[in-house]
Amino acid sequence: MVIDAAIGTDLFQALLQGVPPGAVYALVAVGFVLTYKTSGVFNLAFGAQAYVSAALFFMAVENWGWSALPAFVLSVVIVAPALGLALERLIFRYLRTAGAVPKLVVTIGLSVAIPALFDLIVSFKAVAGKTPQGIMPDGSNVFYDPFGVYPFSRNELAAMVIVLVATAGLGALFKFSALGLQMQAVVESPRMTELNGIAADRVSAFAWMLSSLFAGLAGVLIAPRFNTLVAPDYFNLVVVAIAAAAIGKLVSLPKALAGGLGLGVLIALLNTFMPRWVETLPWLEPIQDNVTPAIPFIVLFAVLVFVPSIRRATDAGDPLADVDPPAQSLGAIVKDRRAVIITTAVWVAVLVAIGGVVFSRGDQRWLFLVTQAVVLAIIFLSITVMTGLAGQISLCQGAFAAVGAFTVFQMVERYNMPVTGAAIIGGFVAAAVGAVLSLPIRRLGGIWTAIATLAFAYFFDAVLVRLPFVGGGEKALLAGTDVPRPVIGPWDFENDKLFLGLCIVVLVLVALAVRQIQGGTLGRVLVALRGSEVGAASIGISPARARLMAFAISAFIAGLGGALLAMLAGDVNYGATFSPFVALFWVVIVVTIGSRTVSGAIIAGAAFTLFDAVILKGAFLEWILRDKDLVPGIFPISPKWIFVLFGLGTIQYARHPEGALEHRRRRIAAKRAKKAEGAGPSAGGDAVIDVSDPPEAITVNEAEAVT
Amino acid sequence: MSALLRVEGATKRFAGIMALEDVSISVDAGERVGLIGPNGAGKTTFFNCMLGVITMDRGRVELEGADLTNRPVYDRAKAGIGRTFQRLELFPDTTVRDHLFVAERIRRGHGGLWRDILGLGRPRADEIARCDEVLELLRLGDLAEEPIERLSLGQCRLVEVGRALMTDPKVLLLDEPSSGLDRAETDALAVTLREVQAEHGFAILLVEHDVELVSSFTERSYVLDFGKLILDGPTADVLASDVVRAAYLGDLEPAS
Repeated sequence: MVIDAAIGTDLFQALLQGVPPGAVYALVAVGFVLTYKTSGVFNLAFGAQAYVSAALFFMAVENWGWSALPAFVLSVVIVAPALGLALERLIFRYLRTAGAVPKLVVTIGLSVAIPALFDLIVSFKAVAGKTPQGIMPDGSNVFYDPFGVYPFSRNELAAMVIVLVATAGLGALFKFSALGLQMQAVVESPRMTELNGIAADRVSAFAWMLSSLFAGLAGVLIAPRFNTLVAPDYFNLVVVAIAAAAIGKLVSLPKALAGGLGLGVLIALLNTFMPRWVETLPWLEPIQDNVTPAIPFIVLFAVLVFVPSIRRATDAGDPLADVDPPAQSLGAIVKDRRAVIITTAVWVAVLVAIGGVVFSRGDQRWLFLVTQAVVLAIIFLSITVMTGLAGQISLCQGAFAAVGAFTVFQMVERYNMPVTGAAIIGGFVAAAVGAVLSLPIRRLGGIWTAIATLAFAYFFDAVLVRLPFVGGGEKALLAGTDVPRPVIGPWDFENDKLFLGLCIVVLVLVALAVRQIQGGTLGRVLVALRGSEVGAASIGISPARARLMAFAISAFIAGLGGALLAMLAGDVNYGATFSPFVALFWVVIVVTIGSRTVSGAIIAGAAFTLFDAVILKGAFLEWILRDKDLVPGIFPISPKWIFVLFGLGTIQYARHPEGALEHRRRRIAAKRAKKAEGAGPSAGGDAVIDVSDPPEAITVNEAEAVT
Repeated sequence: MSALLRVEGATKRFAGIMALEDVSISVDAGERVGLIGPNGAGKTTFFNCMLGVITMDRGRVELEGADLTNRPVYDRAKAGIGRTFQRLELFPDTTVRDHLFVAERIRRGHGGLWRDILGLGRPRADEIARCDEVLELLRLGDLAEEPIERLSLGQCRLVEVGRALMTDPKVLLLDEPSSGLDRAETDALAVTLREVQAEHGFAILLVEHDVELVSSFTERSYVLDFGKLILDGPTADVLASDVVRAAYLGDLEPAS
């Protein structure tokens, strides 16, 4: 090989090219670490905060005709810290003693709710193809080339200067001010700090404002790199930030800074220097074309898997962490057999009634929506297994479902296989993917499972989907990903009513299987594991094997549901149906309504598709009033409210991980028990632990009150 | 005669601090042995090393002559090392009996996804009977259906003992069972433990702070201080020795 003299220039150019995006990544990473360090919140909503500033800036400049400076002051200097303060004061302050996973779930909900709420408040609408402006006038078109190898745009230069100033300011704050010192102390232990007479509250609020300011800055600075300003891109940004921060084990600010810069440069270097094997191995082409944007996800996944000490970075945390009593728990209800049968019967009756109306009177649109609700309920049962039963937050259920859908598409397209068989194979392929994915992350647990699955979801989204043998490659872009309906014996499921029937049968079968698993060996093993990993291992349970089973079963259900969803629409339609940000909302809605019960998944499925059509669009009122003109003028309400509603609903997860549905049942049971019993608990116990509010506790013999 | 449980040369270093240095102990079948030492002496670390929760830098763990050093936690549990925890490690949202039942099911190894889906995974009468037998022994019979959240700390400790018993341990490691209990509760726990041991015949290794419990409950004791074994012998002699008074009891005197 001849060493080209230009290689040095190329290297230098790639370095320079990587610095501006790297600087913005660094900014996000530093902001992220700041919240994580000072409040223990692994803030996935960080991207949403960045989005708010970016969108506000965009609106001020484009719609209101402001110049850049006042727009910048409003969106970054005023609104961003205010948002941070609001989050801290209204939400996270009350979750201080909650575990890491509940806090994470709340931020997942917020990352869905905040952009939707913002869009509603300022009635912001993304304009496709309208590239956001940078902070400099004409910033994307004026270039400076100090070294004669890479021309920096004005925007890039401004971004680098701002990042430099911001991080230097932060460094000085930490080094020279009392507040910085206090912030560091709060990181070590908020309670210890308070014992020393410092209001940890105030310090933590300040840290939130500061980190939100960083989010806003990053949001505005990075906006010109997107061709349309939409919330999912900003969620993506936070994953990049975590990857950068992970290099510094999520706690070191300087290392997060270096990690961000490093990622930017690494991506630029790969863009320049990655060898091209395309001629010899054409199937590699889609990987080559798409691997560079996926670098952060690969880095993140690798760090999680290969640097186990990253997990201990938080565990070691607060020396006084155990001082607070655990969050109040009402305790599980011991179910009475008769009550279960009655409840089930009522349920079945209601569903049959609804089904009857839909079958006899539903037009095509309603049939479609109801079928969609049924299929989503199947997919949501995969979350019941993963989150409700195994206690793991998986953010790649969309990828599992997509695997099922793509398998059907491929099997039918390539081998002309019967659709039914292909769907079942789809489930098994998804299960295999789930099982393999669980192997490297089997020891992670807690929030790290969530982050690793999120990294996988984005890797799937950025690279795997584009492979010819997964998403169909270029051919699929032109011809679509057609998925036909099945034909079984005399039934052709092209008929929408028959197809709805098929989906209901599958839902019932899956629901029954999940119920059996809940009551069987695996369910009990997973519940034990959810409660205490070391406790479960001490009686001979292998956590890795149990988690593998949970992943495989959950992925199977998701894959099967994904296959049905593709059949319903007649197309896989990956971007709109299965992409990571869409699937994020699946977890949000199931967790809010109740991830521990089969009924929770079914209601969540209904809520996901029908809430908008029935409630927000006013159809419900229309049915009652029997006159379209009587429906009040506020209908139809924007469908974005569903994101706000259920996104904010995750806040209660921190206190009641069993979900709204189950919590309501427990409360009712507890109240009746109290009424019937009069005085204290019957346990004959001394001090009752865990239950900080004994009157709410439940007695066994009153369990029939649960209906 | 070879010992039931033998740990040789256990060594563990945390970021430059020697948590355990060349600690060797052995426990014979049916014995009750104490492991005492002041706060931070490395007792719980030693327990965790024996169980495999923490990997030792050096050392060897043997049960009935079989080398368990490189086996994972759940494997050691299956081999016959049962344990309880100083900080409770119970399973929230389940009942007292559920705790024992899941252990029983794992011991029997009657699992399998298909069995679950076909409805064969539900508790069977003989399994429940065995759980209830142990619960009666621990005087928890009335609480079998109770959610774990509603139990007192002392009762929770007993549930942990019961859960460990279901695995048919050859040796039971008790990690500070008296912590958080008052005198009366501790005494009751000791009585129950003695009865259960008489019934099942396993060995007990007791890590304890409570001197009274150690002296009344164990025959023989090891003393750890700063990660090193400083003394061993009959419990009465050990507790009377000057070395132990200096290292351990000295700390307690102002309190008592």
